[in-house]
Amino acid sequence: MSCEITSRPLTIARVARQLEDDASGAVVLFVGRVRPDTSRGRRVSALDYEADRAMALTRLRALERRARQRFGARRVHLVHRIGRLRVGAASVIVGVAAPHRSAAFGAARFLIEELKRDVPIWKSDRWARAPTGRRRRRRPSPSVGRSPG
Amino acid sequence: MTRSVRVLLFATAREAVGAASVDWEVPASGSTVRALLAGLVEEHPQLEPILKGSRLACNGVYVRGRRARIGPGDEIAIHPPYSGG
Repeated sequence: MSCEITSRPLTIARVARQLEDDASGAVVLFVGRVRPDTSRGRRVSALDYEADRAMALTRLRALERRARQRFGARRVHLVHRIGRLRVGAASVIVGVAAPHRSAAFGAARFLIEELKRDVPIWKSDRWARAPTGRRRRRRPSPSVGRSPG
Repeated sequence: MTRSVRVLLFATAREAVGAASVDWEVPASGSTVRALLAGLVEEHPQLEPILKGSRLACNGVYVRGRRARIGPGDEIAIHPPYSGG
């Protein structure tokens, strides 16, 4: 399986094993990780990822084919994690093995850009608690139910 | 016999409706994507701005234009803008 959507932790070593190929002089691995982004004094503590799994896999396989055709990549491995990911966790790994480095770098860049743009996967922020006194959101009055969002 | 389509909701669309999917009754003779969306918005007005920026798929294939026909048993996915990676 060269394209995967999984809720299990991602490991670079496992992807690297999928890329072993004596005819490839270059292997490029891109790892996307959850960063501790800050916005308006708040800090992301985790990201929740979800996917339309069946369509996402179809799109990933199409990207794999395009990377092989356009860049001459000999091995491609695309894996995206879903579920709740803490800061620092790997959310995506793109691996490419190709005869030369220019093709391997080009294919890896192409794949991660297209994956972000064209594959039905979504992230949503989970915020850490803001420091006391900086909370701006009004609490609903006890008699009013909180609406979603 | 099924008389409905299943609507799969993702990300902000799921949050707006409060469910990952809804079953929506359609006439046995079928309907259109446009009519389905109009019905959904009537019941969940908060979906309207999300639908404007969303891609739609029917049975795993992207739908071009909202005049596309749908019928009982179809699975319609609502995809807000992607943000993977």
